[in-house]
Amino acid sequence: MSENIQFSPWLDSSQKPYIQIQNVTKKFGEFTAIDNLTLDIYKNEFFSLLGPSGCGKTTLLRMLAGFEKITQGKILLDGEDISEIPPHLRPINMMFQSYALFPHMTVEKNIAFGLKQDNLPTNEINQRVEEMLELVELTDFANRKPNQLSGGQSQRVALARSLAKRPKLLLLDEPLGALDKRLREQTQFELMDIQEKLEVTFVIVTHDQEEAMTVSSRIGVMDSGNLVQVATPAEIYEAPINKDVADFIGDVNILKGIYKGQNEVGTQLLSEDSNSIVFATQEVGASIEDEMWFAIRPEKLEISKTIPSHNHNILKGKIEDIAYGGSFSTYHVKLDNGRILKAIRANRERTKEHHLTWNDEVYLQWAPHSAVVLLS
Amino acid sequence: MNLTQTNPNFFKSIFNGRNAVIAIPYIWLLLLFLLPFIYVLKISFAETIYARPPYSSLLIWGDSWLPSIKASFDNYLFLFSDSLYIKAYLSSLKIAFISTILTLIIGYSIAYSVARAPNRWRGILLMLVILPFWTSFLIRVYAWIGILKTEGLLNLALMSIGIIEKPLMIMNTDLAVYIGIIYSYLPFMILPLYANLEKMDMSLLEAAADLGCRPFKAFWTVTIPLSIPGIMAGCFLVFIPVMGEFVIPDLLGGSETLMIGKVLWTEFFYNRDWPVASAVAILLLAILVVPIMLYQRSQEKAIS
Amino acid sequence: MKRFGTFNIFSLIVGFSFLYIPIILLILFSFNESRLVTVWGGFSTKWYAELMQNQGIKDAAWVTIKVAFVSSTMATILGTIAGLVMTRFGNFKGRTLFSGMIYAPMVMPEVIIGLSTLLMFVALAIDRGIFTVTLAHITFSMCYVAVVVQSRMSSYDDSLTEAALDLGCTPFRTFMLITLPIILPAVVSGWLLSFTLSLDDLVIASFTSGPGSTTLPMKIYSMVRLGVTPEINAVSTILVGVVTLGVVTASLIGRRQKQQILKTQHT
Repeated sequence: MSENIQFSPWLDSSQKPYIQIQNVTKKFGEFTAIDNLTLDIYKNEFFSLLGPSGCGKTTLLRMLAGFEKITQGKILLDGEDISEIPPHLRPINMMFQSYALFPHMTVEKNIAFGLKQDNLPTNEINQRVEEMLELVELTDFANRKPNQLSGGQSQRVALARSLAKRPKLLLLDEPLGALDKRLREQTQFELMDIQEKLEVTFVIVTHDQEEAMTVSSRIGVMDSGNLVQVATPAEIYEAPINKDVADFIGDVNILKGIYKGQNEVGTQLLSEDSNSIVFATQEVGASIEDEMWFAIRPEKLEISKTIPSHNHNILKGKIEDIAYGGSFSTYHVKLDNGRILKAIRANRERTKEHHLTWNDEVYLQWAPHSAVVLLS
Repeated sequence: MNLTQTNPNFFKSIFNGRNAVIAIPYIWLLLLFLLPFIYVLKISFAETIYARPPYSSLLIWGDSWLPSIKASFDNYLFLFSDSLYIKAYLSSLKIAFISTILTLIIGYSIAYSVARAPNRWRGILLMLVILPFWTSFLIRVYAWIGILKTEGLLNLALMSIGIIEKPLMIMNTDLAVYIGIIYSYLPFMILPLYANLEKMDMSLLEAAADLGCRPFKAFWTVTIPLSIPGIMAGCFLVFIPVMGEFVIPDLLGGSETLMIGKVLWTEFFYNRDWPVASAVAILLLAILVVPIMLYQRSQEKAIS
Repeated sequence: MKRFGTFNIFSLIVGFSFLYIPIILLILFSFNESRLVTVWGGFSTKWYAELMQNQGIKDAAWVTIKVAFVSSTMATILGTIAGLVMTRFGNFKGRTLFSGMIYAPMVMPEVIIGLSTLLMFVALAIDRGIFTVTLAHITFSMCYVAVVVQSRMSSYDDSLTEAALDLGCTPFRTFMLITLPIILPAVVSGWLLSFTLSLDDLVIASFTSGPGSTTLPMKIYSMVRLGVTPEINAVSTILVGVVTLGVVTASLIGRRQKQQILKTQHT
């Protein structure tokens, strides 16, 4: 992924978007599944649509594939309006959540299916099928039927089949949802490798935020038919736009505060939980006494038994619960007002010498640049 | 999104002429299933005449440019004036009702036993239930004549063991009709019941037992209520066709066995009274239209 | 834990005896030497030989086979389309009427269907014969096919169709290459069901057939009315044998299909 560090065409105003979703609305009867959504996706992106079930992400994907008619608005691919093109004529392929492998055809026939529809010469079809089988490392399984494959193999056949036609755009609907955790992690990297090698634009739908973070160039977080935030994984994680995004991506402590103005450290907030002023470096446009929130990731909270040297951004509490996670432990700290915050600490020492335990009085502290101030 | 998975919209594009595809079976059924009823209705208001076809026309083209309609309720009045018809309807209702109940009791115990049989036996047992369902109705009814008649196999067997001295008179009685109906319609009862009972979660009964419910009580309070859809489907599949049954009362029943299907047949084939036969059919249809609609509703629910 | 007690074994034995003893006796006495159907006079196949001499039965059998073959084939085509319409066309105008016309013939007393179909043929001055019997048989058989196909389609994964479209296959080709092969076992058992329904039908054929188109059940019925004879037992035995063979084949196909579905779901 080394070259991907530089890959950010959305920042370059001279780049033309590859897929343009323009003011698209989709209604099922009275129900609005997609609400006036606009989104640009660039060539060679690995774009994730992330959101809880029912947020409209699958509907959006199916509109790109052509399975759902757009109620309002249009979709352009490479500058061409594809809104009215039926699915079998679109240069877009899809990998289905259920894989949708044709049960009465062998692996080879499944992969060749799309090529045959284009009436390519037989030797070219054979050659491409061969290539695809090699790509997904299933050459030995060419003559198997889908019901003789494991879940991971089926997933790779589905991928090979959807890539065989060299689509301009590949849509993936929860591509790893049916795999177990270990296989899923391994497959994520395979997907990224294949995407880079073939230089195909990927749009993936997932409800798994870790998966989205790992594979994506950018993530579009969706909620009730709207895009809430579109940004790189790091931005989404470190600078979520609101409480919902912060909460949906990863673990987070969200604390309420009252805006008290700026000083030399940054924004001053009166915390409801500590009843003291806390600081954040981030500057916000707000008026005094406005209600707002600050979000701190558990790994950014320092936990200690001794009073920290700085005297700001400190909360006092008692360890209520410890979840031992191997490489790290998660501490549930109960504040004096009853709120429970989560703090994560890497387990650098062996457990025996571990000096934090249940009912310990502890101090939680964080650096002013670690918290994100959220207005909504 | 579950909403989109069941959304049939894109199938519109699957068949370019979506409406043409619907139209093929639709028009067929309209012409060959629904349209005939309109003719039955029409002829039930006509008069019997000696001609071909043996009924009068409803539209009389007279001097005026509009035809006058000559509909007569005589056929229906006739059905109510001659007690034979009313008795036949009532007797059909009675026979259909009693035989549905009996078929349900016998069918339920068989379906229940098949559903609870060890896995490896279930397939073959189910097959044994289905097999007679495919075998000719007529042949199955015929098979009972040889058994039930006065010098038939049942009487021979019972007399040779010495249980009875004089042959039992079963053939040509209502009893023979009940035996024939239960025998012929049993698979129609068993299949929906089995389909229902087989799907039933056995852990529900375990939960009932765990909560202190005796097996017999669990059967009445858990198994039976949960199998009501199967019971309904089975009862409809037996009751409705039995109401119009002809072959069984004709071959096994006696002269005093009255069933409306047989009356209709006689009116049509022996008396050649098409208008009265039509009126009989329309009245039977009127009795059955509610059960048929209920049956259709229950089937639609089961599929979706 | 399944409890399989004495009651279950008892009801199975009694139930299956009730279902099968009459048929077994019928078959047994078709091999009876004696003309008396209730007295065993030794094994003989002479009634089958006699059957072969009976031109009336042979003609009726030929008519029946022709009607059954044509009507089941047509019913399968129409019924498959109807089954797809019921499951994959959503809510179109007149859907309730359509599903009513699919379900009603399955329970409607045959005398009503027979009478009404006949009256229409007469009113439209269509001559009764093989053609009219076939039309009537197609109509009620297609409903059974529709229900069989419909229940198969309810477990059919729509994304298979979508995948084929997505890979550039036209809608019609998708149906022929993907949907039809997958639901084929259901279509085949629908055909077999239609075939036996047509083979068995007495009442509707009696109404709708004309001179020269007497079907086998009609012939058997007229013989039965004259009394029980070993010849009827013989012809019945042949019919039972043919149908049994068909059903066993169909259920083997069905079982294989079921196993395939189970396998795909497990992986």
